[in-house]
Amino acid sequence: MTMFSQNPLMNGPNYSFSQTPTMASGANKEHSFYPYTDNGGSTLAISGNDFMIMAGDTRSTSGYNINTRYSPKVFKIGGTTSSQDDATLVLSVVGFAADGHALKEKLDAIVKMYRYQHGKPMSVKACAQRLSTILYGKRFFPYYVTAILGGLDEDGKGAVYSYDPVGSYEREQCRAAGAAASLIMPFLDNQVNFKNQYIPGSGEGHALVERAKDPLPLVVVEALVKDAFDSAVERHIEVGDGLSMMLITKNGIEEKFLPLKKD
Amino acid sequence: MDTLVASYGRPMFEKEHVEEDQLELYQPGPSLSLKFAMPPVAQPSAWLRAATDDHANPNCPIKIAHGTTTLAFRFQGGIIVATDSRATAGNWIASQTVKKVIEINSCLLGTMAGGAADCQYWLAYLGMQCRLHELRHKRRISVAAASKILANLVYSYKGMGLSMGTMCAGVTPSEGPALYYIDSDGTRLAGNMFCVGSGQTFAYGVLDAEYKYDLSVDEALALGSRSILAATHRDAYSGGFINLYHVKEEGWVKHGFNDTNPIFWKTKLEKGEFSNVTSELV
Amino acid sequence: MNHLPQAWGRPRDDVYGPYDGSYLQNDGPNQHSQSPIVTGTSVLALKFKDGVVIAADNLASYGSLARFTDVKRLRKFAETSVVGFGGDVSDMQYLDRLLNSLDIEEAYGSTGHTLNAQNLHTYLAKVLYKRRSNFNPLWNQLLVAGLDGEGKPFLASADLLGTTFSSPSLATGFGAHLAQPLLRKVAPDEETASKLSLEQAVEAVKASMKVLFYRDARSIDKYSIAVVTKEGIDLKQDEKLENQSWAFAEQIRGYGTQVN
Repeated sequence: MTMFSQNPLMNGPNYSFSQTPTMASGANKEHSFYPYTDNGGSTLAISGNDFMIMAGDTRSTSGYNINTRYSPKVFKIGGTTSSQDDATLVLSVVGFAADGHALKEKLDAIVKMYRYQHGKPMSVKACAQRLSTILYGKRFFPYYVTAILGGLDEDGKGAVYSYDPVGSYEREQCRAAGAAASLIMPFLDNQVNFKNQYIPGSGEGHALVERAKDPLPLVVVEALVKDAFDSAVERHIEVGDGLSMMLITKNGIEEKFLPLKKD
Repeated sequence: MDTLVASYGRPMFEKEHVEEDQLELYQPGPSLSLKFAMPPVAQPSAWLRAATDDHANPNCPIKIAHGTTTLAFRFQGGIIVATDSRATAGNWIASQTVKKVIEINSCLLGTMAGGAADCQYWLAYLGMQCRLHELRHKRRISVAAASKILANLVYSYKGMGLSMGTMCAGVTPSEGPALYYIDSDGTRLAGNMFCVGSGQTFAYGVLDAEYKYDLSVDEALALGSRSILAATHRDAYSGGFINLYHVKEEGWVKHGFNDTNPIFWKTKLEKGEFSNVTSELV
Repeated sequence: MNHLPQAWGRPRDDVYGPYDGSYLQNDGPNQHSQSPIVTGTSVLALKFKDGVVIAADNLASYGSLARFTDVKRLRKFAETSVVGFGGDVSDMQYLDRLLNSLDIEEAYGSTGHTLNAQNLHTYLAKVLYKRRSNFNPLWNQLLVAGLDGEGKPFLASADLLGTTFSSPSLATGFGAHLAQPLLRKVAPDEETASKLSLEQAVEAVKASMKVLFYRDARSIDKYSIAVVTKEGIDLKQDEKLENQSWAFAEQIRGYGTQVN
């Protein structure tokens, strides 16, 4: 029947009369267990010329409750040992924490196996593609997470790859994800990509010249990250407590922890 | 009695087979595969839809990146492929810089509309199949064959919730310039011109009005760009940058990834189009 | 696939049937093992300088009926850790058997090396996550108390969805609302917790158990309490709440801001 259903003659008035999707009636419902929850929190990544910063708050929530004030969302990936001292990649996951944890474990195992088999760390580009296929492997039962992968590319430039829950991905300059993404991302558009910034007096009306997109130095980016989270904490209940940051440069990964407001 | 004991008796030791999952971690399958985890319910597609359909339920928990205008048309100089670059998840603009033209190989292009992940994954899978075809048969795959691989593939997943509307454009010695439309229902159509996505109608409007097969290359590029511009202007789910490609005998050429905003004002102020919009800054 | 601009790329009703939002809710009739039947209420735990204190009352409720009044909801594992169970009691008993077989298996296989609380928590979290991925959850929220690989106090939670987290103080169920604020006042962060004495920690947990008994209608005044340190486990399963004072009850008038 499906093949005729767009034909008004066969089925009576069709789509042109009814635009809204119909909802299933109450009868014969299959009541199944709902396997997801949202643990809140937010993550943020910014890449620079020779570094990248990945950051995430450390609050974990369920509903209005705070589960814990310290549950990091940013992880090192693919070191040779469990301490991850020689890791070159970082992954942040936000959304449903159990899915996020399972995803991190899976990617870490794969990147470690790659390292043992090839005798070198996986490139961020290869890892980015692999993470996409891992997420897509659960296309029909998705991981409820927004992932961001970071590292340095073959030229030593900072690389940020952002994902949707089923694995579409893109390399970007910066990305905010999670509960406060809609608060942080517009700030980043303006402060990192200089969106809607024009040089004063450079022209009249639409002839105004856009501000040149100069790459930002590490200290400036670090301050931006802190500001972004301080602002998000002010206006979002699921963000706060602590900020865990990973700074990747050619010297390796430096971990930082800064306090955020705990109210 | 033994069968009763076997079916209702309790094992001496309880066991949860978490070890199998652990083993799988260390022996991962090939990265592009046809093996997918399914939700263990009677109607997986209805379950998936409940969780991901942001049109029927704007509050659905998992929002998948969507929304697009893409177009491609054949003309005397080859094929023009043009897209916008916006991805939306519900009302949230997830990205303004999506690369919706996917370079399958040096002569084949695919476009991306619908679920971004579906398009990226299956076109990457198609790229792998095309390469295998080349290695097996010592010649490049035809666009017809490539598009058919994709159509057959998505048809086998019909009803499970994939969402993609894609076009395959390429030039081969046997076919010349060839253009196919494939969608997740399994539809596969050869044609001269397609617009796909939520902004398709706006793009068709401009394209149909100006299209001729004898367009020069510059005219064709301008028309592709102008059609996308019209769609980004009227369709809220389209916007960002105009991504423009020209497929020729020798392979495809990229003609830029340009911000729509300056192009819009240029089109308006220099050509006098979009006169419905005021250019006063009061 | 829908080709209309407003719903472009979305599933079409005539192919997929009407949108069924009931998958997102948990009301109405339920299937087997899809909701807890006989349940235990809160479990509380607090870290202190040498270990962890953990407590849970001895009641198993059947809806609003106080059905079984002598159910022990704390169990030892390998003389190194204590697991506290909230939620479904039958699933708790299954997990209890599972831990027994794990204990035996580990005792066979290894030479003198036993699983610590951290290892145990990882294992339980994986079991719970696997069960939720099979849509056949074990309807519990667990607290695992003990010492980690470095001999430091360890306390973490795992629930029916496989979510895990760790904190200086934890409380499940009603306790997350009522007791957690009291425990956090005593140990707001790891540093403060690492200076708490055993007596302070036990006192804080006992006070919280009392508050829970005052206000949680699914609780009872008999409880179990365990102290885990590197010397071993001190588990008492027949404690009774002491020094109850119901004087505050006189002051209660209705709910919330109602005063007369």
